Amino acid sequence: MNFVQCNLGAGVRLHLCETDKFKSLTCKMFIQQDLNEEHATSTALIPLVLQRGSRQFPSVAQIARELEYLYAASLGMDVLKLGERQILEFHFQMVDPSLLPDSEEHLERGLRTFWGIAADPAVENGRFNETFFSQEKANLRRELEGILNNKHAYAMTRFVQLMCAGEPFAIHKYGDLQSLAKLENEGVYRHYQSLIRSYPLDIFLVGTNLDVIANLLAQLISEREQVVDLSLPKGVDVAKLRYFCEGTDVQQSILVLGYRTNRTYLDDGYYPLLVANGILGEFPHSKLFVNVREKASLAYYVGSNVDGSKGLLTISAGIDWREREQALAIIKQQVEQLRQGDFSQAELEQTKVGMINSMISMADNPSSLIVRNLMGVVHGDLRSIDTVVEQIRAVEQRDVVEAAEQLVLDTTYILGPQGEVGGTNGTN
Amino acid sequence: MEQIKLPTGEKLWQSQLPNGLSVFVLPKPGFRRTYAVISTHYGSIDSQFRREGEQVLSVPPGIAHFLEHKLFEEEEGSVFDRFADLGASVNAFTSSTQTSYLFSTTENWQEALIQLIEFVNKPYLTDENVEKEKGIIEQELRMYADHPQRRVYSALLEGLYQRNPIRLDIGGTVESVREITKEQLYDCYYTFYQPGNMALAIAGDVEPKEAHSLIAEHYPEWSHYSGPVERFFPTEPKEVAKDWSEEEMAISRPQYLLGFKHDPIWRGEEILRQQLIMAIAWRLITARSSQHFNELYDKELVSDSFGASFSCHPQFAYSVIGTDTDDPERLHDELTRIIHELRREKLCPTELDRLKRSLYGGHLASYDSFEYAANRVISNHFNQIPSARFLPLLSSITAEQVTAVFTDLLDWNRSSVSILRVKG
Repeated sequence: MNFVQCNLGAGVRLHLCETDKFKSLTCKMFIQQDLNEEHATSTALIPLVLQRGSRQFPSVAQIARELEYLYAASLGMDVLKLGERQILEFHFQMVDPSLLPDSEEHLERGLRTFWGIAADPAVENGRFNETFFSQEKANLRRELEGILNNKHAYAMTRFVQLMCAGEPFAIHKYGDLQSLAKLENEGVYRHYQSLIRSYPLDIFLVGTNLDVIANLLAQLISEREQVVDLSLPKGVDVAKLRYFCEGTDVQQSILVLGYRTNRTYLDDGYYPLLVANGILGEFPHSKLFVNVREKASLAYYVGSNVDGSKGLLTISAGIDWREREQALAIIKQQVEQLRQGDFSQAELEQTKVGMINSMISMADNPSSLIVRNLMGVVHGDLRSIDTVVEQIRAVEQRDVVEAAEQLVLDTTYILGPQGEVGGTNGTN
Repeated sequence: MEQIKLPTGEKLWQSQLPNGLSVFVLPKPGFRRTYAVISTHYGSIDSQFRREGEQVLSVPPGIAHFLEHKLFEEEEGSVFDRFADLGASVNAFTSSTQTSYLFSTTENWQEALIQLIEFVNKPYLTDENVEKEKGIIEQELRMYADHPQRRVYSALLEGLYQRNPIRLDIGGTVESVREITKEQLYDCYYTFYQPGNMALAIAGDVEPKEAHSLIAEHYPEWSHYSGPVERFFPTEPKEVAKDWSEEEMAISRPQYLLGFKHDPIWRGEEILRQQLIMAIAWRLITARSSQHFNELYDKELVSDSFGASFSCHPQFAYSVIGTDTDDPERLHDELTRIIHELRREKLCPTELDRLKRSLYGGHLASYDSFEYAANRVISNHFNQIPSARFLPLLSSITAEQVTAVFTDLLDWNRSSVSILRVKG
């Protein structure tokens, strides 16, 4: 299930995975750029406006009718954040044409529709359709205001803003309300054009008869300009521990701890870091689940994850406000045990086989098969599933301890029924 | 073993063990992963029941879900550890009518399957471990209570139903969970986990005969009550409990849901037919292709979350439509008008055909998801819905049947609105 790569022009890479395993043909395109305050909100607005209509299908209803006609072809766009990159994602999927009557025609029709919506929008006088633009600006405002509605997502957003204040990583993938208010149609359209023409574009395809599709796409890709150079996150030294407590109307409190990992995807010790995270909090056999949930009954969910591009390990748990100190103590004790090498050979092995299982499982889902490559795309170092499996398999106990020793606690955050609105700063 | 041909050209193998367990195998050549699920036809609504010749038992709300948590408990070691040793991931979920235990793995599927069968058949409950679980479940319920979509949906069901237990949260309440005892959990277990009330489905690159014999060989003998279980449900009045309810929460934008209660008249194949009719009917309002959706979107009354559903079971049937919106009252008036108009509008053949194509394509693609396909096989089996009849039923649907949804089924005298407003 590996991808074959080829270049389709300056900064355009095509990744093909020919297989008849799935009932669908899947195509994803990614345009990446540095995450920055100047453009983040503008980028976030683009997919919303594009999906309102293209030159060929100038309304949502027309696009949707075409997709229904093509046996529920699905087309979507979103913005992703990976480390300090903001990535515009275009997604297209349709039932494998070989399972349908009159298949050839459908395939070409579907791809042209997809390409038209991504690259040939409804434009008037050098800007997006004004109605689309203003309505979608209002929708993005609601989306940003709506972060509050999902308490866990809200807590994670606030936590990142506080911990990484001043770093690009603090920026939300959809930008912010202040920048949104200032956005103008012409400016966003210019930004869209430059994204399409001069930022790195990666196209992934999974399905059958991909050479036909590749040829079709090659004809559709427009002229490209010089490709913009992108940057990667810089290491951050922790000056002092920070503690934030924010009050809001909740039944459950959310506790978040952020550690700097001091190693990332391109470092040798990256896979040991992932294994350390696995032992700590990725699985139901992990230390956090066993000790915070199963033994102390303090939480329903508790776990940890790593942003391997930014170099951040985050622990989060949903707990009772009155039990926050106890939860915090048990959580810190688990990290300490990892540093001390206080974990069994069985914990190490279970974690490795669990990670290998989820890695291999990705080969069974076309979207995961594609999305797992994003880390490689961002860092210019694509790794196959087999390579990653070997790397995980090779991790030993002392590698995990070394990775854990490099973890530095930076920030503790709690969203609870008490505390100040907006959060207070103190010491831990 | 019986073979059923699916619309994708794949085959589903079906059989029944002598102990009554139904077994389904969906071979997926070339896939690395194997997914298996064991379900009991027992969920949150089954809170009053009688085994033959015994007294009627009443148990607290939330007990099916509690039992699901507790089956992971073992006298020594932990179920999670045993699956972790195999590199498999294990999980479970409870619905209003079903409790399911599942694993997914890329290695050792045979061993994982044996472990799954074993832990589902080996409850280990003590007063102490039952007590310990209460703190965990309380946190789970509080997490849901902070979730606006879940809150507004729960309030809608409480508005629609006066007595049927579907009106209660699947997990129960913090108070009802505190009441649950070890004895009650065992009563439920030994009533509903008998093989005749259960089904097992497995999907992956497996050989059907091998899977079948492995299950037959390892499924333990059931030495407890084995026989019919009479389930009691309170008679649900025609009228809704409340036609309008409102709550407040710290959110950014109000949430609005409109629900209609129906008489649960459909059985077997008719459930599937009505599901398809409803899917088409609701699309006439909520699909991006619909003129009505686009009008509502232009008036900024609906967001991308606008959607509708139809839930149908022998004990209850209801329809829900809703979204987050700045102006719930105005959206309510618009939906009232649209549903009224659709009684008279004739659905044109091209539109009906296009919506059918879309449902057909979606159905084909759904077989790429093991979880979805296997879980659906089981819930269809429990409700005697013939999975393989999808395509002929879809083709047979007429414009008149779709219009009848608006003229007959969506009865305003049996509707309820639930609104979650912005606090402060």
